[in-house]
Amino acid sequence: MDSIWSTLVIQILHGLAYGMLLFLVSSGLTLVFGMMSVLNLAHASFYMLGAYFSYQMLKWIGNFWVGLLICPILVAMLGILMERFLLRRVHAGGHVQEFVLTAGIAFVIMESVKWIWGTEPLPVPIPAVLSGSVMVMGSVYPVYRLFILFFSIGVLALMAYILLKTRLGITVRAAVSDRDMVSALGTNTPFVFMLVMGIGTWLAGVAGVIAGPFISTYPGMAGEILVDCFVVTVTGGLGSLMGAVLASFIIGQISSFGILLIPRFAIVFAFLLMAIVLIIKPSGLFGEKG
Amino acid sequence: MSKKNWVIGIAAIIIAIIFPFVAPKFQLRMFTEIIILTLFAMTWKMMLNEGGMFSFGHAVYFGLGAYASVLGWLHIPGLSFLSGILLGALFAALVAFVLGAFLVRMSGTYFALLTLAFNQLIWAIVWKWRDVTGGDDGLGKFPKPELFGLVMKDPATFYYVSLIIIGACLFACWYFTKTPLGNICMSIKSNDERAQFIGLNVKASKLVFLTLLGFMAGISGALYAQFQEFIATSVIDGAMSTNVLFMAYIGGIGYFWGPIVGSAIFVYLSEYLSSFTDRWEFILGIIFILVVLFAPQGILGTIRRKK
Repeated sequence: MDSIWSTLVIQILHGLAYGMLLFLVSSGLTLVFGMMSVLNLAHASFYMLGAYFSYQMLKWIGNFWVGLLICPILVAMLGILMERFLLRRVHAGGHVQEFVLTAGIAFVIMESVKWIWGTEPLPVPIPAVLSGSVMVMGSVYPVYRLFILFFSIGVLALMAYILLKTRLGITVRAAVSDRDMVSALGTNTPFVFMLVMGIGTWLAGVAGVIAGPFISTYPGMAGEILVDCFVVTVTGGLGSLMGAVLASFIIGQISSFGILLIPRFAIVFAFLLMAIVLIIKPSGLFGEKG
Repeated sequence: MSKKNWVIGIAAIIIAIIFPFVAPKFQLRMFTEIIILTLFAMTWKMMLNEGGMFSFGHAVYFGLGAYASVLGWLHIPGLSFLSGILLGALFAALVAFVLGAFLVRMSGTYFALLTLAFNQLIWAIVWKWRDVTGGDDGLGKFPKPELFGLVMKDPATFYYVSLIIIGACLFACWYFTKTPLGNICMSIKSNDERAQFIGLNVKASKLVFLTLLGFMAGISGALYAQFQEFIATSVIDGAMSTNVLFMAYIGGIGYFWGPIVGSAIFVYLSEYLSSFTDRWEFILGIIFILVVLFAPQGILGTIRRKK
């Protein structure tokens, strides 16, 4: 009996770690795609850039925490440049143009990564402080996964605070719901949108740095998580932070238990969930519109 | 159709007919691929341009058409060339009808996202259901039946047969826009509320339209399977759904000849860039970015505007 419970708890924790990593990546997409309605297929590519930048920082400086501080900012700067000089010009053209443009950017980032760092998976060591493991319900559990868990909760809390309580958050939400009105009231909405894109890609960069030691850093990592991110953003409800948390949690558990119980068809369930949610409640679990 | 369109059309047909006599063998192969993919791109383009529906998961109909026809050729002894293609097309149409029943209730972004969900779901099932689909290994070594005594293994013969089948389908696509149902679809695209007010059944019309497009995409998929003589999950994955979008977009979504120009550019680009450099996807990415920035209406749109 004991061993069943400890397996169950460990499995839930494994699902939580992946789910929260997924949330970190998806939270940026929730801002950019969910709230601003900018279809950004390159979002996961920024996540991948975060992981590669972190690898490079570790090589040069040798300190994980410096990388965690600097790399997401570099990624965000690239995201802001992309918004300012490319995406802004095609937003009026609708999703088809954004799709082709950001897919092109994703190709360019992917090939550049292969060019610079090669196609082999790169090892990123876990920082010494977090390298141990703890006993959970009589089983060994790596500390680093607990770190992912708590770090993500911290990011969620910070984002919720900024969006709901600060003037910046209120401006962003107002600009998203009625862009022209907010412009008319004297807010520089293009700047606000650029800032949101910066925050979105910053979150992707953070997720990338965190993901480095957790899953290997390789050129396929962007494509692997991209669809999952869209599943999370959509299932949770476009633009809903709480929805993204819940959906990430569910997808994390589905992939964790699915692999344990029905390994062959585990991958199907996340998509099935997305289809069912969209059919029953198109606005997603926590969506307001639709 | 305007006079200019007739001239372009007849010129295209003449070029297409004399092509196998003048072109080297690998050119003929690429030309066949372009022709087959043109129909696929045409169905995507019509869905958006005539129907106002943005599909993220168009590979479902193409891929299931390919799989259904290949499974038919493998398991039904003596299944003819055309019957196999028809089988694939009918299966794709059936799936389009069933998925469409859910899809027509959606609009805008949610429609696109549900097509993505369906695409991923069906791709995952095809990938994992190894006993039937072969999974990663794909399906090969299926018969290539003769058609009225014509040996389809001969590239030129296969080219002409594809040309006739696809040409007929493209004509049907063009003709559809002139039918009452085609007009209804376009009126729904421009304003679905008003279309409903004047008594049109919006959902039923969309469903019929989706089913027809599924049928056409299925034909394209089945022919593609015979062209490659091998299929794997790449015919039904997200990359295929993305490629069809590129083809339709590069050519110009607002133009009848757009998918033809787009698939030609796409096939030639991927072929030549990949023979010329390993980093061809980098150049392809740059080209996409440049097209969106400087030719947002596609190649045809830019040519028309310059005139």
